[in-house]
Parts: sequence; structure tokens; C-alpha cells
Amino acid sequence: MFALVGRSIESLYQVARGLKTVFKHTVRPPITKNFPDDMPDLPGHFRGRLALAVNPQTSEHLCISCLQCERVCPDKCIQITSHKSPETNKPELIEFKIDHGLCMFCGLCTEVCPTSCIINTNDFEMADYTRESLVYDLKRLTLSQDESAHYFAKKELPMPKPKPPKPAAKPAAPAAAAKPAEDKPEAKPEVKAEAKPQDLPAAPAPESPKKEEQ
Amino acid sequence: MSVELSSPDLKTDEMIINMGPQHPATHGVLRLILTLDGEICKHVEPVLGHLHRAQEWQGQNRTWFQYQALIDRVDYLSGMYTSWAMARAAEQIDGLVVPKRAEYLRVILSEMNRITSHLLWLGTYLIDLGAMFGFPFYPFREREKLFDLFEEVAGQRMMFNYIRIGGVLRNPPFGWFDKLKRFTDEFPDRIDEYEAIVTENPIFLKRTKGVGILKKETAMAYGVTGPCIRASGIPLDLRKTKPYSVYPELDFKVQTMDGDGDTWARYMCRIREMRESNEIIRQAIEKIPGGTTEELRKLLGTTGPEKDESKDLDPSFLLMAKKQNAGLRVKAGEGFAAVESPRGTIGCYVISNGSDKAYRFKWRNPSFCNLSVLPELLVGAPIADIMAIFGSIDVILPDVDR
Ligand code: SF4
Ligand code: SF4
Repeated sequence: MFALVGRSIESLYQVARGLKTVFKHTVRPPITKNFPDDMPDLPGHFRGRLALAVNPQTSEHLCISCLQCERVCPDKCIQITSHKSPETNKPELIEFKIDHGLCMFCGLCTEVCPTSCIINTNDFEMADYTRESLVYDLKRLTLSQDESAHYFAKKELPMPKPKPPKPAAKPAAPAAAAKPAEDKPEAKPEVKAEAKPQDLPAAPAPESPKKEEQ
Repeated sequence: MSVELSSPDLKTDEMIINMGPQHPATHGVLRLILTLDGEICKHVEPVLGHLHRAQEWQGQNRTWFQYQALIDRVDYLSGMYTSWAMARAAEQIDGLVVPKRAEYLRVILSEMNRITSHLLWLGTYLIDLGAMFGFPFYPFREREKLFDLFEEVAGQRMMFNYIRIGGVLRNPPFGWFDKLKRFTDEFPDRIDEYEAIVTENPIFLKRTKGVGILKKETAMAYGVTGPCIRASGIPLDLRKTKPYSVYPELDFKVQTMDGDGDTWARYMCRIREMRESNEIIRQAIEKIPGGTTEELRKLLGTTGPEKDESKDLDPSFLLMAKKQNAGLRVKAGEGFAAVESPRGTIGCYVISNGSDKAYRFKWRNPSFCNLSVLPELLVGAPIADIMAIFGSIDVILPDVDR
């Protein structure tokens, strides 16, 4: 009988101890965040949506069509179309497609890219209505100059080497001048997409900046 | 006319019930075919394979470099350990000596991973037992903090792709070690909080004490590893019994429980392991060669990562013993390596033929072996205890089926 009473008191004490902790927590401020209003502060190495960076200084496209990323991708979701430029005899980018519906965001393509062209952005809100719209083409993938500068700094990537002193007067200037005022680096995807057309002519620069191995 | 329900001549029919595959408490998809006599379980047959993803086959059809990214997904709650097992097996074949700093980073991040895994178990186990009063989400609060730290260093919260053959991917960013140190300072108080709510709670004790007793002999016969066998009183922990990496330099104890290894003992063992992991992290932060990233960069005279692999650096400060590139090759040979994961021993056996793909992979997964002991534990248990017992052995179904 005494044992039973003793046990009951002990149990009640333990329950009360637990409840005390619980109630203490009911009055503290919430630890969760209001997501859409309160965007998380993502670290630079966060592996989000893939994008193609341009040279933050000159705004020329960094991709040299080496196809390393296409080859290394475990899911085979990158598709690159390029051709040999008749003038410079170097590969020239025509189309670049990434199927984000297949991508597993492993980041391997960004690791092998020799020019740090393909990068993982901090953008993760990619929900869409159709599977086709998850396939991003060159236009939607290419970042603006400001965004590229933002990510190059945030990811501590080495800046692309300046172009060799060849007759390289024209490629950068017109595109940079024609560029409209950009939004903030973390602009929404639609903004990126429509801000791009001016970049395209400049992208396959007549003289590719580097000696490729292909 | 009244019938004594417990009368021996009352005839009852056995009933077969399917539990799962979509039962919410099975942490994945496991089907249990239960043969019940009234409330008592007479026979159990687990049906596996719903989550089979041919991980071994994929390892043979992808290059080493690609497979490293995939292997975190075998046991998605403790991805560090599967990567680590594979990396160690490949390093064994290649004869690579991993730099000290990389080993320390591996230890720190894997112990963090052990804590997150145990925290998830704690939260979901309490849900399995029916404790919905706010508690299950307390562990998730700490887990979230750790995941933020993982995100900063590895890039993702659960699929880290951080431990690579020959080292680790990168140095943590500035301020990371301070954040981790702050976490280790406050974490013991948080565990005290969980314990205040759960450990001595009379309902919890009633549900777990003396339930699902796993005897030493049974555990050994079935090859049970991890907290389950330590809760039965056998101090089997690869970090101590077969030391690897830098664990010999760290001071920690293997947590075993006296008594018969019931469900409560397995709970308690995991709680103690979390405290121990916290201690390991604290020591490793103190001992890591090169110190925090800030100190290392000051030594190198830079603020960026560009010199992390430079030639004139003290070799123990490097991150990689071998350059990682898409054509990563491992010499021909065979290797086996095992690491102690939150669930038990993860073993990886590889045959390499010297090309950029492995010839054969074989995984020894702790969840599979731990699950095989389930029928022993369930027979004779009432149906209400089934989830209490099943949850306590903490299997993760993708790890069982691979
Ligand atoms: S992140 Fe991985 S899966 Fe996605 S495109 Fe790059 S390599 Fe392919
Ligand atoms: S690896 Fe980089 S440079 Fe090469 S094709 Fe891919 S994005 Fe272009």
C-alpha cells in the first residue's frame, strides 16, 4: 500500500517535471521562421538551382563548351550543343539545356567546370506546373553580370583570368552598355529570364578567351 | 451463460494481419505479416525490398566520382558514414594516407551526423509511442541547428557529398567552428530537457521497461550491431574495438547498458551516445591540426580557399591526399572498411579493376542485420508493443533494401 502511494507520488513528480519543461517552452518565442516572408540566409556553398555565370568584369559568357559537366553528370541531365567556330576553330556554344527535373543537385558538374561557369545558385524555389518548364535553356540559365559577381564573391571562386591581349576590343563593351539596370542579385527567376536577350550575341565571343584542350 | 475469456478451452482462430507497407511508423516501407492469436503476436514475417534501388549495381555502373555523390542516399539519415566507409575502402586499395586535418573534419562531421540521426530517432520514436504533446519537435530544433552547419560546409542538409576518396571536400567557412562550439556548449542542457520529459515519465517507462528484451546471445547470433547490442551489455563499438581514423587520439567511452537490453535500455544508450558524441566534437575542435579555418587562413596569409592545397603547406593541414577529378581512378585490388554508424557497423567491400569504375561493391548494412532480429523480439508481444519494439531498434528502410 505504501509502496503504491510512494510510486504514485514519484510518478506525479516526474510527470510534473516533464510538464514544467513543456510549459516553459510554450511561452518562449517561436524558433521557426515565417518562410515566404522571412527568407533563409543561405550559405554560399548551398547547392540550389544551376546557372551559368558570366565573367563578372566583362560580362562575357564563361562556358568554353568543354563538355566536362555533361560527361560527369550522373543523371545525364545536361545537354550541350556546340559547333566549331569557322573563324577561330574553337568550340562555340549554341544551346545549353539542364533538366532540373532529373538533377539531383549533387554539385559534381560545378566541381569539374574549368572556368567556374556552371554554378549552384541559392535559388531553391523552382516549383512549376509542367515538367517541360523544368528544362532550362541557355537563356534562362545565364546569370546577369551582377548576379555572377555576387556568386563569385559568395562562393570564393577564383576570378576568371583576363583575356589575352589580342584584338579583344569589342566583345564586352556593347553588351555591358546595353544592359538594363539589373535587380538585386537574388532577383526572382523571371527577371533573370527576361534580362538576358542582350547577353546572347555576346555570349559566343568571336575570340574565345582561353586555350581549350579540345 | 458466460464464457471465461481466459479459459484454456476457449478456441480462438489465428488471424493474419498485414502491417504496412505504408504504415506511418515503419520509417519507410516495410511490410510485416503478423500472425495474431487474439492480441498476442505468434509469428512475424518482415517483407523487404520495397525500397530496393540497386545501390551496389549502380556503384558498378558509375564512375567512382559519380558514385560518391550517390552513396549518401543509402542511409539518408547518416550519409556521412556510408561515404566514409566507401572512401576508406578505396583508400585502403590505393594506399592513401588521409591528412590529419581531413580526418578530424571527418570525425567532427560524422559525430554531428550521429547526433542528428539519434535526434530524429528520438522524435519519431516518441510519436510511435503516441507522445504527440509537443515533445517530438524539441529534438528537431537542435537537429535543425546542426543541419544549418552541415549546409554551410557541405552544401546540403542531408546529402552531403562531403567525404571524398582521399579526404574531404572543403574547409568550413569562417565562423563555423565558433558556431559549432556554441552548439556543443548548449547541447547537454537540451538533452537534460529531453530527459526531464521522457526518461522517468511513468507512461514511457510502462511502455518500454521490460518490453522487447534482446538477450546478449540472441544479439550476437543475429549480428546485431550499434546501440542495440550495446544496450544489451556488449561493448562493441568499432571506434574503440577496431580504432580507425583519429579516434584513438580522442577520449571517449563506449556506452553500454547493464541489464537485459529492453527498449528502455536502447533509448538510454542513444541518449548517452549523444552526450558522448558531443564530447568528441568538443575535443576534436580543440585538437584539429591548423585550428579553425580563420587560424589556418591566417597561417597561409589569405582569406580565401585558393591556398588550401598548396605544396608548401604542412601536409597534415591538407584536405585531400589525392586530387579529385572526374576521371578519379582507384588501383586494382580489394578493400574492406567498416565504420561505426548511428545504427551499427557499416561495411563496404570493393573490388576495383583499376578503371574509373568499381568492379564490384558489397555493402554490409547495419539496419538489415538489426531488422533480422525483429521476429525474435516480436513473438509473444502484444500488438500494441510492436511499434514500440520496432521503433527502438532504429532501422532505416532504405538502408535495409539499398
Ligand atoms: S548537380 Fe549533379 S545531377 Fe545536377 S546537373 Fe550537375 S552533375 Fe548533373
Ligand atoms: S564544364 Fe563548364 S565550361 Fe565546360 S561545358 Fe560545362 S559549363 Fe561549359
